[in-house]
Formats: sequence, structure tokens, C-alpha cells
Amino acid sequence: MSGAALAFEDISHHYGAGPDRVDVLVHVTFDVPAGTVACVVGPSGCGKSTLLSLAAGLARPSAGAVRWDGREVKLGPNFDLGMAFQQPGLFPWLTVRQNVAIGLRTRGKAKAEALATADEFLGTVGLSEFLDAYPSQLSGGMAQRVGIARALALRPRLLLMDEPFAAVDAFTRIKLQQELKALLRRYAPTVVFVTHDVSEAIVLGDVIVVMSQRPAGVQRIIPVTREDRDRSSASYARKLAEALACLGVTSGMGGE
Amino acid sequence: MSRMQREERAPVARYRWLAAWRDRVLLPLVGILLVAIVWQAVVMLYRLPLVVLPEPWAVVRTLAGLLPTVAFWRDVGVSLYEFAAGYATGVVLGVAVGLLLGESRTFRLTASPVIEALRFIVPFAWIPLTVLWFGTSYTGKIVLVAYAVFFVMTVSTTRSIMQVDPTLTRIGTMLGMGRMALALFVHLRAAAPAIASAARAAAAVGWIAVVAAEYIGASAGLGVMITNAATSLQTPTVIAGMIAMGLIGATVSAVVGWLARTRLDYR
Amino acid sequence: MTIAARRPAFVPGRAFLLGTLGVAVALGVWSLLAVLLAGGGGVINRLPAPLVVVTKLVAYARADLVRDLAASLRVFAAGWLIGVAAATLAGLLLGRVNVLGRIFLPVIEAIRPVSSIAWVPLSIVWFGFGLTSKVFLVGLAVFLVVIVYAVDGSRRIPTDVSRTASMLGMSARQGFLHLILPGTLAEVLIGARVSLMSGWGTVIVAELVAADAGLGAHLISVQQSYDVAAVVATMICFGASGFAMNALFTIVERRLMPWRRIHARELDG
Repeated sequence: MSGAALAFEDISHHYGAGPDRVDVLVHVTFDVPAGTVACVVGPSGCGKSTLLSLAAGLARPSAGAVRWDGREVKLGPNFDLGMAFQQPGLFPWLTVRQNVAIGLRTRGKAKAEALATADEFLGTVGLSEFLDAYPSQLSGGMAQRVGIARALALRPRLLLMDEPFAAVDAFTRIKLQQELKALLRRYAPTVVFVTHDVSEAIVLGDVIVVMSQRPAGVQRIIPVTREDRDRSSASYARKLAEALACLGVTSGMGGE
Repeated sequence: MSRMQREERAPVARYRWLAAWRDRVLLPLVGILLVAIVWQAVVMLYRLPLVVLPEPWAVVRTLAGLLPTVAFWRDVGVSLYEFAAGYATGVVLGVAVGLLLGESRTFRLTASPVIEALRFIVPFAWIPLTVLWFGTSYTGKIVLVAYAVFFVMTVSTTRSIMQVDPTLTRIGTMLGMGRMALALFVHLRAAAPAIASAARAAAAVGWIAVVAAEYIGASAGLGVMITNAATSLQTPTVIAGMIAMGLIGATVSAVVGWLARTRLDYR
Repeated sequence: MTIAARRPAFVPGRAFLLGTLGVAVALGVWSLLAVLLAGGGGVINRLPAPLVVVTKLVAYARADLVRDLAASLRVFAAGWLIGVAAATLAGLLLGRVNVLGRIFLPVIEAIRPVSSIAWVPLSIVWFGFGLTSKVFLVGLAVFLVVIVYAVDGSRRIPTDVSRTASMLGMSARQGFLHLILPGTLAEVLIGARVSLMSGWGTVIVAELVAADAGLGAHLISVQQSYDVAAVVATMICFGASGFAMNALFTIVERRLMPWRRIHARELDG
């Protein structure tokens, strides 16, 4: 399951028309090489989620094109794709393993095989004891894990994640980041990860794409190295400062 | 239960079952007892003849007398049969059409004026027409119940489908579901609890429709029994019949509600 | 300064076009069935074409429609007003006096599902076939619908409003007049609208059984003379008047309480 390249080519997008028109994205261009993780950060409401919707084929860009594996992304279901959202959006009438399995069933897998795969991925995220629980019985972090297991069980070549850890408490978030990192290393899809948390972006991403305010364009693309990911290292602090500076946040240290 | 009972201040959790017992059983019994007492008092004070208002005990005796008779259960059976057939038809068709209207804006806009117009012609207004068409046969009542139930279910289902959380739709699309799969496996399932409570309301409507239809033109059934008793001024039987009608209606609603809650409600 | 309304995402005409199409299709199917069944086959062997129905409708309008409609409306108006008034009083009483509420509300809840239809035979025994009987039935039906709203309204006072009241030092009487009563009446108004349809439906059932005067009586009489077209025409009259009442009520409501958003369908059925 290796990824392919995702490319945003001069994307501009707006909602509405005439006086109600809202320009969300303007001339956004960047590439995500196969198998890498691009973390998109930016101010609230700057259109990061819109970017993912376009990449997922949920909407067609007003201008420009999104290319996946060399071909332009079309509207409609994309079987290379897995997505995780801020609210996991589990189907409340299905058990945990049924929720993970249903995507596989849609793709034509037999019931037994789908459930077995579901169990496998739920084990990977540490929820083996909750296979038959219902979503209403889970905590926020657990539900989010199910959502991630569901996306990964599809063995997607393209994984889009829209602030999946935003609604989760700080401790759980760090744990989930580490778990996700391990999973991504194992399955190596091409990933676009949207977050408002810059430190999260440094830990998870190979590259940080910093967006500007709406109408958003790409401000800066910051590569991230292995040393940067160590939160206790100096290079991490420097990377963090660099990214925050783009977002208009000064470090607040030294004569201002 | 009702809006009114929700207003009740909840006691400490330990005694909640006690409070529930008080609300659901004790107080209603007190109420019924009070009504019976007032009823009895009115009859005695005004020396009302049996024809106008029988004593509560006379009604109870009459009801007890009806229970072992074959005729009574045959009438009840006829009404229940007409209700069940019409209800099942109405629910299936109503949900199907409601789903279609909920999914497709085009269909909804097209059908809206017709539905709105028909809404004002209450099921009761259709009774003479069904009598003309189907005579006093069972078919007429079944059609009437089916119509009444169909209407309620279509409108409720459409509304419930339209109110499904759009996140679920997005998830389904992401998982690769097409429009039909989304409609059947996501929207319908998600709207199921709301549809189920509509089904419960529809059961009450349907039962009322059956009995009303039987008042106008029928050869057998609970409504016929009541009307006949009314014409021959057998008031105790009339009241006994009304009580039977109310009890059966409540039971049917409760059964539908129970089925709905256990099978469909995932909350 | 006016707030500009958002323009709809599609041309408004589309809804109108589709709606008209729907009506046209319905009428077309109707006409087709009328033609197909005219030969006398099948169960529904008497289905008049739309045009025939319209003719009957016009004839009826020229003849007795107004008289019958007036009779039905008289019954309805009397029953509805009495029902609403009684429900408001009872709602205030049962809602505010806790003891009374606890005793009688469960009884009312038990009686409510037993529709007014069940009371028709009893009403005939008590009041015969006349006006009183019908008014009683309509009043009962309306009462049972509105009482819930009245009780709710009498109990539900928004906390910030009541806090303002106690801050202003209102007496019990003032509190009643300025807080409880308006709150109750607002809810009663909502319930009154809901009860319009059940009340109007009860009128017709009462008249179907009593068959002495009104639209319902006319409906029965044309049914007994096997005049299918007239039956359908009368049904349409019934529906149209129901619609008109609803519309009228909405207009009055908007005038009286312009700050409320009017929900087109508070409750169905």
C-alpha cells in the first residue's frame, strides 16, 4: 500500500456568488510526494478543511486542479482514499467493529474478511476489548481511535485528516500522535494532515505547509527533519518559532 | 412520557423508581378513582337514569359481561384486522415514499403542493367516498387506515430524512457509498428512531380512523357494536365500548412503541 | 436599515415549476383513471373526471354551499372557542396549583388518546343529534389538544424574565397579569392552531353521524344518492375551508404577535 503523489495545482475556490461570494483559497500550489506527510497549519477558518474536501473529491475546485497519482481528482467516491474528521462520525447504530468493517464491505469485501480486518486494525489502535461496544459507550479519544482505525483499515494510498485530535484532551492527544506516527510509518500512505496545533505538525509532518488568512494562499513550506521532532531539542524550538512567526506570532522573548 | 410529566422535578436518584411508580401507576389510579367517585356522585345526585349516565359499576359489569362473549371478540377482531392490514400497508408505502421525497429535492418540490392540498382533506372526510367505492366491506376500512397512516408516515419520514446529520453522509461518501447505499444504509438507519415515534403516532391515528369508519358504514367491528348500542340506547354498552376502544388503542400504541424502541432506537 | 436577504441558491421559479408539474401529473393520473374505469371494471368503478367534479362544485357553490358551510362553521366556531377558553382556564388552574395538577393531569393524559370519535355515540345519547351534541364534541376535541399547551405555557416562564420581575418587585397579582397570563396565552395560541385541524375534522365526523345540517350532512346525503362527483366536490370544499381557516389564523397570528416565527407545521395530524 504505497502512496502516490498528490498535487495541488493553482487551486482557487470560493463559495456563493455575487455579493455573497466568499473567496476561501487563492492560488494554492504545493506537492505532497508519495508516502510523505504534509501538515497544513494556518489561522482558523482559512480554508484548510476546504483543501481536504477538494482533495477528497467532495467538491470541485473553482479554479485549478488537484492531481492524484497523475490524474485529476473527480467528484464522487475515491477508493484510494481514507479520511478522518474532527468528530469521528461513527454510525451510532453499529458496533465498533461494524463501523470499521463497513467501509470494507462497501468496497466489496466479504463480511468475514471485513470483520477480521476490522479486528486487526482495532487491535493496532489498542481497542481490542471494545469490539462490540457502541459508539455512545466510548470516550472521545476512543471514538477518535475508531475513526482512525476505520480510515486505515481501508488501506488507503491517500489519507486525509482534518484536525482529528482537536476535540481530544491534551494527554490523549500526545498519545494519539505517537500511535498515529507508528501507524503511518508502518503503512506509508500519502498523508495530508490539517491541524491548528503547530507542535503537532512538527511531530507528525515531513513538511509543514503554512497557510495565510482567508483568502488563503500558501505562505511558506517548511521541511521538517528527524531531530526537529524531538520536543526537547533545540531544533524543535527553532522550527516552532519559525512556523509561529509565519502565523504572525512572535516568540515574546527578547526586547519587544 | 408527556410534556407535562417532564416538568416534574426529579427526586434524588435513589428514589427515582419510586417516583416513576408514583407517576405512572399511583397517581393515574387516584385520578381514575376520583373520576369514578365524581361520576357516581353525579348519577346519584341528579338521579340520572341508566340511559343517560349509568353508574360506573354498571359499566364495569357490562364490560365484564362482554368479555366472555364471542360476538365481542369477533367485533374487536374485525376492527383489529382492518387496522393491522391498513397500518402495515400505510407504513411500508409511507416510509418508502417519504425516503424518496427526503432524498430527492426534485421529487419533493414536485409532490409538495399535492401533499399540502391533500393534507387538508382529513381522513374522516374520505369515509363516505370509501363507503361508496367499497361498500361496507373490510377493504374500504383498510384503504382508509392505509391512507391516513401513509400520510402521517410520508410527512414524518421526509422530515426525518432531511434532518439526518450531514456528517454521516460525508462519512458514508468517504467510505465509498453511492447515493442508494447512503439512502438505505445511512439515512434510513439514522432517521429510524424518529420514524419509529412517528409510526407510534400513526398507530393511534389509524385505530381512530378504523372505528370512525365503522360508525359510518360497516357491518361488523367495534365501531358497529358501539353505534348499534347507541341507537338502542344501551348506554352502559356504549361506554364499555369506548373504554375498550381506548384500551386497545393504548395497547396497540404501546406495542408499536416498544417494538420501535427495542429494535430501532440506538440511542 | 434593512438586512439584505440572502439570495437563494437556485432560481425561485424552479420550485414553482416543479410544483405545478406535480399538480398537473396528479390531475392527469386522475383523469386517466376516470377514463380507464369508466367502463365499470374493477373495484373503484365510479371515478368522476376532474372536470365533472368542478362542475358539481360550481353547482353546489351556487346552491347550498354557503348555507352548509355556515352551519358547519357555526358549530366549529362555538366548539373551538369554548374548547380554547376552557383549556386556558383549566391549564392555568392545573398548571399553577400543584395539587390539582398532580391529580387531574394524569386523568387527562389517559383520556386524550381516546379521540373525540369515541365520544360521538355517547354524545348522541346525551344530547341527541342537535347543535349541542356537535359543539360538545368539537369543544372536547379542542380542549384535549389545547390543554397540554396551556399547562406548559402556565408553567414555563423563562428564568431571566421572572428574575427581572422579582428584581422589579412585582406583586403576585402583577406577576400573574404580566408574566403568567401572556406566557400561557402565547402557548395557547400555538395549541389553538394545532387544534384547528382536529376540531374541523371532528365537525365533519359529528355531522356525518348526525346528518342534519352542514358540510358533513351534505356529504352523507350525496353519498347516499351515489353521486360520486358531488362527494368529491364536497370533500374539496372541506379541504379548502380548512386551508382557508389555517391561512386566516396565520395572518391574525402574525398581526397579533409579529415577533414570533410562525412554524408552518407545528404538529402533524
